[in-house]
Amino acid sequence: MQAGRRLRLPALGSLVQAWPWALLVLALLAVRLSKGAVFLDAYALLSRPFWPGSAQGEWVRSAQGLNDQTRLRQLDADNRRLRSLLELQGRGGRELAAAVISRQAGGWWQQLVIGRGELQGLRPGMAVTAPGGLIGRVASVTPTTASVTLLTDPGSRVGVWVARVQRHGLLMGIGTSRPLLRFIEKDPGVRPGDVVVTSPASTLVPPNLTVGVIQSVDDRAAPATEAVVQLSAPVEAVDWVQVRLP
Amino acid sequence: MSRLARHGWCVATVLVVPLLVLAGPSPLKLAGIPPAWSVLWLLPWALADGPLSGAFAGVGLGLLLDGLHPGPITQIPALALLGWWWGRLGRQGQQIERSFSLGLLALLGAALLGGSLILQSRLLDPWPIEPALHTWLAQTLLTALLAPLLCSLQLLLWRKQTQGGRG
Repeated sequence: MQAGRRLRLPALGSLVQAWPWALLVLALLAVRLSKGAVFLDAYALLSRPFWPGSAQGEWVRSAQGLNDQTRLRQLDADNRRLRSLLELQGRGGRELAAAVISRQAGGWWQQLVIGRGELQGLRPGMAVTAPGGLIGRVASVTPTTASVTLLTDPGSRVGVWVARVQRHGLLMGIGTSRPLLRFIEKDPGVRPGDVVVTSPASTLVPPNLTVGVIQSVDDRAAPATEAVVQLSAPVEAVDWVQVRLP
Repeated sequence: MSRLARHGWCVATVLVVPLLVLAGPSPLKLAGIPPAWSVLWLLPWALADGPLSGAFAGVGLGLLLDGLHPGPITQIPALALLGWWWGRLGRQGQQIERSFSLGLLALLGAALLGGSLILQSRLLDPWPIEPALHTWLAQTLLTALLAPLLCSLQLLLWRKQTQGGRG
């Protein structure tokens, strides 16, 4: 009698009443099998208002920037060392900031006059950069000033390099705000958006300085392909420039 | 003749031209192109002081301005020619002082000066002509627009000086 009572199956009614518990067990099983996916997603949704704010994001970005700067400095030092081993021209030792005291970016001549000259060690031919990249070269110096011929001046000629296709070209000023890039070969494979830097083999300007971005390409130009380059440094807006000293 | 050149301070006013070229005041630019300041100074000077003084002033002004710019292109021939021509016009017949006449002479002067620069640059290095034409047109128009105001004032001043010298 006792044994028969123990082996008796639960009543169907009590099983029906226990279905929520069964569902709970199933849900927990699902959580376990999915490695907590649903639970974690639900947690993320609920805790979103308490997530780290913009301040933490700034810290992370600042740390990332610092890391990038350190890497850049390290790579620059490596690059300088390797270039000196290969006896190639370096990017220049130090930079000298100079104020723009006269700007003639339109008209017959495209030039700047800067407030540093021979007394500060400037010499004709030195490269002049602005935030964004190369803008020109020192054409002449006086004891306290220097004239800078801009890349847009019709007399300006600088050897450049398109890194994506690894092609050399000659950047020629034509009197407009966008100089012309003339390639040596017929089909260099460049396209709008390619970045133009100073030639690694250049003896006139330091290598690998950003110059601009190719805006349009004329494949039908004779004798070789030509491209219009948008300079990356805003010459009309810069009030201070950097002169690369050897 | 050349009464103005005897006054040191009158000659010294030529220094304003390179200073204006260097300063390049933005409000007085058309499409980023400044006027031909040399023409605006030389025109009244030559009209008031004769062809010889005008030609010498043109050469002096050209030397000053050529020193400010890189490259072999020079403004001296055009400015000397303009100074001599305007000086001759100033010595002939009726005095030129009307706004239209001054504007027209400045227009022709700026056109000749720009034309000489284009010609030289084309001979030295054949680069696209369109940017040069844009500069030439904008500079010529702006110079002609400013001439009636600026040149008439200078002309009054120089004539007062030369008449004062006579008296």
